[in-house]
Formats: sequence, structure tokens, C-alpha cells
Amino acid sequence: MNEFTRSGRDPLDEALASLPEDVRPERDLWPQIHAEIAKTPIVAQASAVQSTWFRLAAAVLLVLATSFVTYYVTRQSMQQPIAQVTPETVPVPQVSGQPASFSFGAERLGAGYVNARAELDKRFQERIATLPAADRAKIERNLADLRRAADEISATLAKNPSDPLLQDLLMSTYQSELQMLANVSELPTAGSMRTDL
Amino acid sequence: MRVAVTVAAALLLAQPASAEEVEKSAQADPRGEVVISNVAGEVRVTGWDRNEVHVSADLSDDDQRLEFRTSGARTTIEVMLPKGRSYHGSTDLVVQVPRNSSLTMTTVSADQTIKDVRGMQRLQAVSGMIQTELWNEDLELKNVSGEVSVRGHNGKGAMRVTTVSGGVRLDDVGPEMELNTVTGDMNVRVSELSKARIRTTNGNLELRASKLTDDVRIDAEGINGDLRFRLPRTLDAEIDISTFNGEIDNCFGPEPHKTSEYGPGNALRFKEGNGDGRIRIKALNGTVEICNR
Repeated sequence: MNEFTRSGRDPLDEALASLPEDVRPERDLWPQIHAEIAKTPIVAQASAVQSTWFRLAAAVLLVLATSFVTYYVTRQSMQQPIAQVTPETVPVPQVSGQPASFSFGAERLGAGYVNARAELDKRFQERIATLPAADRAKIERNLADLRRAADEISATLAKNPSDPLLQDLLMSTYQSELQMLANVSELPTAGSMRTDL
Repeated sequence: MRVAVTVAAALLLAQPASAEEVEKSAQADPRGEVVISNVAGEVRVTGWDRNEVHVSADLSDDDQRLEFRTSGARTTIEVMLPKGRSYHGSTDLVVQVPRNSSLTMTTVSADQTIKDVRGMQRLQAVSGMIQTELWNEDLELKNVSGEVSVRGHNGKGAMRVTTVSGGVRLDDVGPEMELNTVTGDMNVRVSELSKARIRTTNGNLELRASKLTDDVRIDAEGINGDLRFRLPRTLDAEIDISTFNGEIDNCFGPEPHKTSEYGPGNALRFKEGNGDGRIRIKALNGTVEICNR
């Protein structure tokens, strides 16, 4: 049973009410904090090569992270309706004119991913155009291999939509494709190493 | 006589317009950074005991110039080419650097050979071969179509290797690695393995490890390539393998099982020892083999 004071209030409430609403520091700390902030440079000096390197890495990481989140959100939203649909309301499957791979293609990863990929692809095309023909052919062949692998997994996933192994491998292949586009985009070329004499 | 004169004249004309040998050197920080770039030819870099960077360049013609400069602890060596003209020449560089220097090298179709450079290395090429050694500092290596060969000294340097179609051979390298390839085959031999992340699309992998650390983490994925692991007889790890179409061969005992009654998939999960480590392997069409011999 709670005890009450003469005023009829809970002693704990009274104690709380008696506490100061504002605690002042013993001294004014702000000038010292301000001086410390002013001493620390906001942007560290970095070489042009390093900053390009980090910018590219950051861009790819951002794309991958965004894609990954979008992928999982999409995957969740794909799985939920399946769990909620009762047998009586199962819709009649509709035959699509598009290849199966479209059902699980890269566009499922959202507009952010598609746009970032298109941007990387553009830079990639600009860069390989400057490479020797033999290297260009090898790169294009390997990129085609990667995209073929993604299509193959995507088509298989369309037939086995709940297979976690296929989902992981598809994500991983998309990541490899992005990584390859980014790596080739930053490759040195004879043109980029030239200078006026 | 006329023939001899003609041959002599032809030989003289066959010489490069004015091939030039250039030598330069400068004092350098024993742990400084050396940055080298070249388009075509060959670059050989060797670590030595002196606190000095020395370069000997064999410029194939007048159109090239060797840029050699130092700034603080950084030494830069660049082969400069004329702008706006197609270029078919090549330049060979022989460079000596303080043994503990870090090295950043960028080439297009020049081969890179690095010996006894013990600082951090960042090497990049389009189609040249890259051959280097790994000690206790990290190595980042990117190559498109050239072969990659790394000889380690069982040091602790971690490495990240990315190739598109070039083969990769790693011997006695450090305990941590990240390997990515599209169609290149990878052959890895390591005395002690702690962390490995390996990704291949069509290339095959063969990895031999004499010892795994207690907390080993191996994460490997293949789409069409075969993944083969030769591991020590005694393991302390949880092993988790799944394939969609490929076979699983396991020498440690447990048999894989079908993941579905009608599908082709296989899976295998078992524990050896306390199961402290984690080995996860995923494949689409390739075979996975995990063996203790």
C-alpha cells in the first residue's frame, strides 16, 4: 500500500516535482567545444587517384546495398501474398509472352538499381571502346557469360521461386556484373595515360 | 657487294627511330610509396636494401618520355606518350625500390614482375601478366585477361584478386583472401587458411589448405565452374554445401541428400570436431568436391 504525505500526494511524485527542471553546467563548455571543432578539418586532403578510387567504391557499394535492400523487400512482398492466398482464391496462372527470366530479372531490384546499372554500363562502354580490340572482345565475351548466367538462374528461379540457393546465386551474379562494370570503367587505358609532351 | 650494302641499309632502317635508354634515381623513404604506370612493354620491380629508387627505361622511340618525380614519401615513375596519336611502341622498365616500399602499378598491356617488395601492393593491368610475391602486407590485384601468379611466403598479408578471364595461381599465400573471376581458373595453395571469399562464374577452383584456423570462414560460390577443396584430415568446422544441378563429392564421410524428390539439387551439411569454423559452398551447375587428401 502506498504512503501519502500531508498534502495527499505520492512522496515519489513530490520528490520528482522538487527536482530542478534544468541542470546548469559548472562552467560554460561551448567555447572549448567550438575551438576543438574549428581545429579539425572537415574534409581531409586526399590525392585525386585516392578520391576517385573511393568515390567509385562508394558508388558501387551504395548501389549494391540499395539493390540488396530492394531485393529483400521485393522478395518479402513476393512471398507474402503466396502465404496469405487461400486455396479457393488461387488465381488462374496467366501465360506471359515474355521470357521466364523477365519474372526475376534485374528490373525487380528497382529503379535505383536499373539506373545505376545503366550509368555504369554507359561508362563501361566508353572505356572499353578505347581498349585494344582483343581485350575488348575478351571483356565483352565475359560480360556476356555473366549475363547469360544471370538469365539462366533467373529462368530457373521462375520455375522454382522459393529456392533460396537460386535467389542467393542470382543476387551474387548481379553483384559480379556490377563489380565487373565498375572495375572495367576504372581501367587504365593508353589514352588516359597520355599527355602532351 | 650491292646485296651486302642493301642488307646493311635495311638493318639500319629497321632500328627504332631513336631508341633511348634512360636511367634515373632518387633518395626514397624506406617505407614510402612508389607509383608506376606504363602502357605497353614490361615492368620489373625489385626490392633492395638501399633507400633509393632507381629506374632504367628502354624507350622505344622519341615519342616517349620518362617522368620521374618525388614528392614527400612518394616516388612516381610514368611513361608519357604523345597525345592524340595512335601509338604502337613499348617501353621496358627495370625498377629497384626500397624493400619495404608500398607499390601501386598500373599498366595496359605490359607484363608486371615484382620481386621482394614487402609493402602493400596495388596492381592493375588490362591484358599483361602479373607476377608478384606476398609478404606481410596486403595485396590488391586486378587484371582483365592476363595471367596472375602470386608466390607467398606464408606471411599474414591479406589479398584481393579480381580477374575476368585470366587464370590465377597462388602459392603459399596468407591466411585471408578474396577471389573473384568470371572465366579464369584459380589454383590456390595455402598453408593456413582463416578467411576466404571466393566467387567464380565459369572458372574452376582448386584450393589446397594444409591447415585451417579454429574460426575459419570459407564462403565460396560458383555458377558453372567446379569447386574443389583439399582440406586437412582433421577439421573443426560446420560444413554447408548446396548445389542446384551439380554433384557433391565428400571424402569426410557423410553423403549428400537430394533437396527435393523431383529436382536435381543436392545438399550436404555436417559437423567435424566442435564445429567452430564455417565452410559454406554454393554452386549452380558445377561439381563441389571437399576432400581430406
